[in-house]
Amino acid sequence: MEDMVGTQPQPVTIAFDVMGTDHGPAEVVRGAAMLSLESPHIHTLLVGDRTLIDDALAETKHNGERISVQHAADFIGMDEKPGEALARKPNASVAVAARLVAEGEAQALVSAGNTGAGVLACARHFQLIPGVRRAALATVYPTRSVRGAKGDPFSLILDVGATVEATADDLVTFAVMGSAYARIISQNERPKVALLSNGIEPQKGPPRVVEAHARLSEMKDIHFIGNVEGIDIPKGTADVIVTDGFVGNVCLKMLEGVHDTVVELAQYAYKESLRWRAGLAMLSSGIQRIKDITDWNQYGGAPILGFDKIFIKAHGRSKSRAIANAGKVAAKVVSNNLGAAIREGLKK
Amino acid sequence: MSLPDRIDPRPPRRIYRWDLDKTYLQTEFDSLRDLVRTAFQKAHQKVAVPGASALIRELSENGDSRLCIVSGSPKQMRAVLEEKLKLDGVRWDEFVLKDNVGNLLRGRFRALRGQVGYKLPAILESRVHAPVEAEEVLFGDDAEADAFIYSLFADLVAGRVDERVLSQVLEAGGVYPDDALRVREAWKKIPVGDPVRRIFIHLDKLTPPAHFTPYGPRVVPIFNYFQAALVLLADGHLTAPQVLKIAVEMVQTAGHNIITLSNSFQDLLRRGLPLQQAAVALSQALEGPNKLLAAMRPMPDILAAFSKRLAALGTPPPPPPVQAVDYVSLIHHALPRNHKGRTKPQ
Repeated sequence: MEDMVGTQPQPVTIAFDVMGTDHGPAEVVRGAAMLSLESPHIHTLLVGDRTLIDDALAETKHNGERISVQHAADFIGMDEKPGEALARKPNASVAVAARLVAEGEAQALVSAGNTGAGVLACARHFQLIPGVRRAALATVYPTRSVRGAKGDPFSLILDVGATVEATADDLVTFAVMGSAYARIISQNERPKVALLSNGIEPQKGPPRVVEAHARLSEMKDIHFIGNVEGIDIPKGTADVIVTDGFVGNVCLKMLEGVHDTVVELAQYAYKESLRWRAGLAMLSSGIQRIKDITDWNQYGGAPILGFDKIFIKAHGRSKSRAIANAGKVAAKVVSNNLGAAIREGLKK
Repeated sequence: MSLPDRIDPRPPRRIYRWDLDKTYLQTEFDSLRDLVRTAFQKAHQKVAVPGASALIRELSENGDSRLCIVSGSPKQMRAVLEEKLKLDGVRWDEFVLKDNVGNLLRGRFRALRGQVGYKLPAILESRVHAPVEAEEVLFGDDAEADAFIYSLFADLVAGRVDERVLSQVLEAGGVYPDDALRVREAWKKIPVGDPVRRIFIHLDKLTPPAHFTPYGPRVVPIFNYFQAALVLLADGHLTAPQVLKIAVEMVQTAGHNIITLSNSFQDLLRRGLPLQQAAVALSQALEGPNKLLAAMRPMPDILAAFSKRLAALGTPPPPPPVQAVDYVSLIHHALPRNHKGRTKPQ
């Protein structure tokens, strides 16, 4: 999913929840500063502790005409329970940022903080798009094949946790939303959409998946390719993979676990044997190339789909480049009016 | 120094000193190609920084002020630069350009790029002729050594820098002996006073504002001239309608809008500049007899956005502390950019 922004873009303001990330507020501020230098049409509204933001901004090259600050005294940490924390801290940065977006002070929200708190804050302040019953949390996953005008190596998976039990209606809605998003961000005119199931046959899977399959097969505006299995995710068989939040989350965690294990095995091999180390060294340029292609810092973040306003969730470990790219993704989604695209898709 | 563009017999109450390249003019000279292009540009091809000419015109409107320009451009560019200023409706009282050919012919290669040995004597010599009570506001940029030189000038005149520190600075700055002598002679002729009110540094290279913190709150880094106008309104150099005129010109000619102007306002507030009253004055100016300005959309919206930006900050931040400037430790700020000593010593 590329960070490209279209030509002649209209000014867009993106609210950044500055607090509660793994690398601290300064990293988010640096990302916003980077954005102010690279993308003249994107204005940033930094929400968080004003003193911390100002200290970081003063030390960072930025364009002050494109940055404003909203002080928010509290923030929600990564390890806090979202519901309780939001109730206890109504002026937490993510809640204030979501409110400002709802009030029109900004057109989208980017947060690298607590995912649950972000989703909940959006649910409290944003409206669901007519026809959408439940929002979906999407994520991207690097795949073997590329897609779209920019050769995007990432496929989109949704839902990965917002809606634990999705109905057939929800799955169809997720497919429409994912397809619209992929069309805009990957510049992929006809993204291939698939349902995640335990077999490629239409009748495979629980009743809601079977029913969703039947309904998606009849939708002409969705390039529905049927069911895919877990093995197809890294292959990149589909550009948009639709599932419910429970399965999606399990699947995502498993993929992350496999990735971490591979890295650990490589590190083990590097330490254990000179021969293996030599082998890894020979492969290093190829490994680096794969790393570059699949670097999630280039992608920036993934959206919560279904609300009338945009929320891009950046990874908690995001560094400034990833934050800046998340801002670009948000601006691109706003500029291309994702909400209207989803509404259109749902009418058909 | 050329003949003045105007002859005003009244002693000036205020002196505004301007640099030209990257301060008044959008000049590129980072590469040889840029230098050549700049050298051959005609007056109408030169572009002023948005709001700069409007600001100068409004400051001049108040009368009893003097505009003194000291530029590092070569003397050979005088005709084209004067034509550009006239095209912009800017009238000046002093206009000093650098004798780079003379420096070259005399083998004074350090002087070709050095700023301290050129600007410091020039502005001190200019101050010699100013009334002792005349206030000064100086405008420079972050491309060279303006913050350093202007601050040093202010503190020399105010008697806050002694002979020993001056000698160290002149030596470390690679100033030729004859220029050092000019500095000392002019300095001795100036009565001790504290005339410099503000030093604005246009952030052409977007240098992080904290870079200028060691110079204290007198130095105000600015992203645009609307910010300078706001501070000058708070300082009593401009009226609210004059600031609105500058803003309107920036909106109409340079693509500024409600977001960039209100962000610029908030940026200054966050740096501790007390602009709350300035914002009130601007709102009142729109309510008063300036119907023309009130009719100029989007000024009312922009001022409404100011209130939001102000409220967004909660408690106003404290003003930055006043402190003595340690010129010896900051000398690396005054050296040409590719000078080995430019890097801050660890």
